[in-house]
Amino acid sequence: MMFSEIYQKTATSKQLYLDPRTKILLCITVSTIIISGSGTGLMQYLQYVLSLLPLVFLIILKKYKMAIYYLFIYAIATIVPGLLLPYLPPILNLLFTGIIAFSTKLIPGMMMAYFLLTTTSVSEFVAAMDKMHITKKFTVPISVMFRFFPTIAEEYKNVRDAMILRGVGTLRNPMKMLEYRMVPFLMSVVSIGNDLSASALTRALDAPTPRTNVCHIGFTWRDIVMFIFSFICAIFYVVALLQQEGIL
Amino acid sequence: MIEFKDVNFTYQNAKNDAGIHDINLTIPQGQVVLLCGVSGCGKTTLTRVINGLVPHFYEGMLSGEITVCGKKVPNCELHELAPFVGSVFQNPKSQFYTVQTDTEIVFACENVGMERSLIYKNFEYAVKDLSVSHLLGKSLFSLSGGEKQKIACASVAALQPPIIVMDEPSSNLDTRTISELRSIIQIWKSKGKTVVIAEHRLYWLMDLVDRVVYMKSGRIQLDTSIENFRKLSSDELHHLGLRASSAFEAAESAKNFGYNGWLELENLRFSYNDSGKNEALNIEHLKLPKGAVIGVLGHNGAGKTTLGRCLCGLEKKMKGVVRLDGQLLDRKQRIKLSYVVMQDVNHQLFTESVWDEVLLSMEKSDAAQEQKEGHAMEILNWLGLIEYKEMHPMSLSGGQKQRVAIASALASDKELLVYDEPTSGLDYHHMLDVAYTVREMKMLNKLQFIITHDSELVTHCCDYIMFIDDGIVRICDPLGSELNKKVQTFFELHSNK
Repeated sequence: MMFSEIYQKTATSKQLYLDPRTKILLCITVSTIIISGSGTGLMQYLQYVLSLLPLVFLIILKKYKMAIYYLFIYAIATIVPGLLLPYLPPILNLLFTGIIAFSTKLIPGMMMAYFLLTTTSVSEFVAAMDKMHITKKFTVPISVMFRFFPTIAEEYKNVRDAMILRGVGTLRNPMKMLEYRMVPFLMSVVSIGNDLSASALTRALDAPTPRTNVCHIGFTWRDIVMFIFSFICAIFYVVALLQQEGIL
Repeated sequence: MIEFKDVNFTYQNAKNDAGIHDINLTIPQGQVVLLCGVSGCGKTTLTRVINGLVPHFYEGMLSGEITVCGKKVPNCELHELAPFVGSVFQNPKSQFYTVQTDTEIVFACENVGMERSLIYKNFEYAVKDLSVSHLLGKSLFSLSGGEKQKIACASVAALQPPIIVMDEPSSNLDTRTISELRSIIQIWKSKGKTVVIAEHRLYWLMDLVDRVVYMKSGRIQLDTSIENFRKLSSDELHHLGLRASSAFEAAESAKNFGYNGWLELENLRFSYNDSGKNEALNIEHLKLPKGAVIGVLGHNGAGKTTLGRCLCGLEKKMKGVVRLDGQLLDRKQRIKLSYVVMQDVNHQLFTESVWDEVLLSMEKSDAAQEQKEGHAMEILNWLGLIEYKEMHPMSLSGGQKQRVAIASALASDKELLVYDEPTSGLDYHHMLDVAYTVREMKMLNKLQFIITHDSELVTHCCDYIMFIDDGIVRICDPLGSELNKKVQTFFELHSNK
């Protein structure tokens, strides 16, 4: 038997040691609680705890450089607006300081989405969706997205190079720049998408029969820990909400 | 077995009658068939009828009877045909669905719901047969075009279909990968699979196929055994619009025309990672005459495209000195003076008409509007694009798009032109058109680099050859009888390992 990931039985560091379903749950938990919570009282501490989660994951993935960036950006976004607020005119605060403050709410959620995308392969994702009995009509478009992000980056770079060489689309005329950038880019992405569908269809992507999933996914104790963690966070969230409403 | 009876097909919204007409064809099990003909002759459409993409994916009017392995194609869903017909397409970058090689190989097996143990068996079989074990566990985005194409073949082979259709599988590959592709088809042939290959690069298939079907404007014009087909001379093949069956014909020795000006490269170094190790390019000294047409040859991943990007100033991290006529050029100046005709020319056409495209290049010059328009007219006339002046660049054919790109380069007074595989997928006549344009550019004393795997293009327009291997320029000389031999060896297919 040769060595290949299709024989792999358990999640490894490549998958963050977690099942895709757990990662989806964590992604939802982190982004909902942080974005919808108000950031006062108990909720504030809950948000700090959840914001630490991406940092832990970055360390597990051994992306130390990125972990430092994350910490740094998050710290700036939390501390700086508070320091600046009293000294700036209200209009600037609204436009500028407010946005920085708001980004503390977005960054952790975006990081979680990044983990979901980079540590889950297409087949793991499809397997997870199949296990949750989610329809193919939903799974297929989402799984194509996984594959398309790198393609989009590649095509975008090609168009950018072409624009540099032609010397077109400078910032002097932003509308034109957008047009020159988007038209060739969309053209090529659409044509790649078309070819991709044709190739996938000749390999029976549209088969109505249940799909075999070669990759093993399944829950381990780590997943259970994360589930309990999410559950506790959810309880704290509800308690904090009730507190704010003055019910508790 | 494949059987066509009076098959007609026209695409929906087809321009000028594209499709196939009155096709009667029977291909027995185990035959390897070459479908050839000029671009737009219908050979791709014919492969699509076999794998069911016509009429199920590309819609249009279909009549007649098509039977593949006892199944009537029009009445079958695509997934019903999948276990019988495997398809390999032209573009390596748009035919993989999952992101990793391993899962890509088993993708089709998973889709049809094959049992897991059987999938493992088929996986091992495909990996061993196609010798792709060194590619396992990699991201498909990190592979070269040829490697991607091999994974595409493995993915098809894993399902073990009796029929395999290939639509111009070699058009993005270098000679080394083409010979690997050839041995893959050889294995399929020995296992009794039916293989249908649409191609116009013939030389790698001459010892492989049993039968040749030549098509013209959607009809079968010639259906003959390979023995008869081999008797056709190069000239006769060229007359049919087909690429020659041999690899490289020696070009005439370069005439000594008066070179007036030089491009000099000194200590050019470039590596993709910051540490400076693994140099992708390392050139100590190189002196190239203006007006030369330099064929840049080398295997995939040798650093040809990197050289092109460095010359044009697209790589910020490049170290070294570039001088044109003794004058030092920094990166910004090189961007101003150079142009890349990209492999996918769609990336570099921005406007709504050919006319606007050329004028766009002159936007920054200070000349009066009339002067610009006059110059634009001149360029279009000269490249034979005047009749397409008002047309949308995206509605033109591949070769015409390329000429529009070249026209825009001319309009902005570029001195250095780099072509990145300009003839991949072009038939003989279109290849000649490209060669013609290149020779015209030469008269304007431009310096042209042609990165190519196309031996016939080299024959027709290059007068200088540069061999690159591992980022190092091994040879860079005007074509002469000695160099001719080397080029010939380079383009020769390696026989099976």
